[in-house]
Amino acid sequence: MKRPLNYALLKYFTTVDEASVDDVMAALEPEYAHHRAFSRPQMFEALMTAEKNCLIGESRFDLDPQGNVRIYYRASDEQKRTIDSYIK
Amino acid sequence: MPMATTVAANADQSLAYAKKRQLEQGFFKKGIAIALMSGIFYGLYSSLVVAAQTQGVWGDWAAVLPAGGFLLVFILPTIASAINDTISGIWALAVTAKQGKLGDFIATLGSKPGRIMIASAIIGGPIGSASYIIALSMAGIIVTPIAALCPAIGSIISSILYKQKMGPNVILGIPVCMFGSCLIGFTGLTGDMGSGVLPGICLALVSALSWGIEGCVAGYGTSMIDCQIGITIRQVTSGIVNLLCILPILSLVSGGGIAETYAFVAEAVTDAPSVIFFVLSGLFAYLSFQNWYRGNSMCGAALGMACNGTYAFFVPLFTWIIVGLVMGFDGYALPTVAWLAALIMVAGVTVIAVNPFALFKMENAA
Repeated sequence: MKRPLNYALLKYFTTVDEASVDDVMAALEPEYAHHRAFSRPQMFEALMTAEKNCLIGESRFDLDPQGNVRIYYRASDEQKRTIDSYIK
Repeated sequence: MPMATTVAANADQSLAYAKKRQLEQGFFKKGIAIALMSGIFYGLYSSLVVAAQTQGVWGDWAAVLPAGGFLLVFILPTIASAINDTISGIWALAVTAKQGKLGDFIATLGSKPGRIMIASAIIGGPIGSASYIIALSMAGIIVTPIAALCPAIGSIISSILYKQKMGPNVILGIPVCMFGSCLIGFTGLTGDMGSGVLPGICLALVSALSWGIEGCVAGYGTSMIDCQIGITIRQVTSGIVNLLCILPILSLVSGGGIAETYAFVAEAVTDAPSVIFFVLSGLFAYLSFQNWYRGNSMCGAALGMACNGTYAFFVPLFTWIIVGLVMGFDGYALPTVAWLAALIMVAGVTVIAVNPFALFKMENAA
């Protein structure tokens, strides 16, 4: 059975050094593009909620070519272990 | 690097920082608004459950059953709670289906966060609520401020389990909010404490602990689980456990028959005048708990639970409006002290959310 979208979002951070919301969406698009919650605002809110609960941390931020702020997140080794312990 | 390039890079960084702050503040404010809405919806749901119990067969039962009897004090409120939670679970399932998330719901049930959510729903739903109802019957209204300890307990648990920070403003703000809840609780204190004060207080502590655990564990769970799925798990679990476990246990404890209890359930769910109120109360219960979980996950258990704690004001407010003013029942008027308590709670939530200590530091730095 396919992982729920939020699980896939968190699990993705155990496989990369850092990622922005656009990176996450690009990686998950093939499997989750049809999902109702697969929108930039909702995915971004999910990332901020995960950060608020210390599941991931902010690594850096900058402006994208359109002048929008782009926040990158990463999971430390401990956070990766936490995610892996909850989500198989 | 040429000076012009450096200046442009610094300007970009400042703009990026300002935009990031704006995003973070928007997220924080949205979290507070959601958590406060949970208190308002809680008030609506509770007052509609009270209203339902004035209608149809419920009114007949109140008239013929012995006042203070086990059936009237324990079994019927639990039946009302079970019907409300079950209908609330149906609302949650319907919305989950409409959002195309039933597959995610089923996949989540078997996962570790899903199982944790089920456990926290059982702890906070049937155990927390049943303890509170029984405590209220045994010790009287004095248990209300004890049950209001739940935000403090939730904050302590979340700081231990999930490393959520408890700054001095949180440590100050939570007792302020609790004081507000206590004021409303003590409003009904008449000196008649009930016969089982000590066991009642112990049970109220169980309910405070249960809700504290639920608030922080489910809030954390909602950072992994989509909140719509999280709340569907909560309401379906609570409805099923209330209906199929708590009710039979209470029936056996009371010495009454299980068949008799379910005869009351059957009569209640086929009673159109009260069911209409339960359909509405179930909707607001679903919205209230969804906002509670989501608010806790967005602004942390301490602030989320303090905002939700405003239900101590919204429950009597909406009960007064719906049952007192609209339906014309006496005895639900809101005392002046409740308005004062509401202002105190708002002050407490503001202290937790705004952190005046940080503001003072900023002013000193400037």
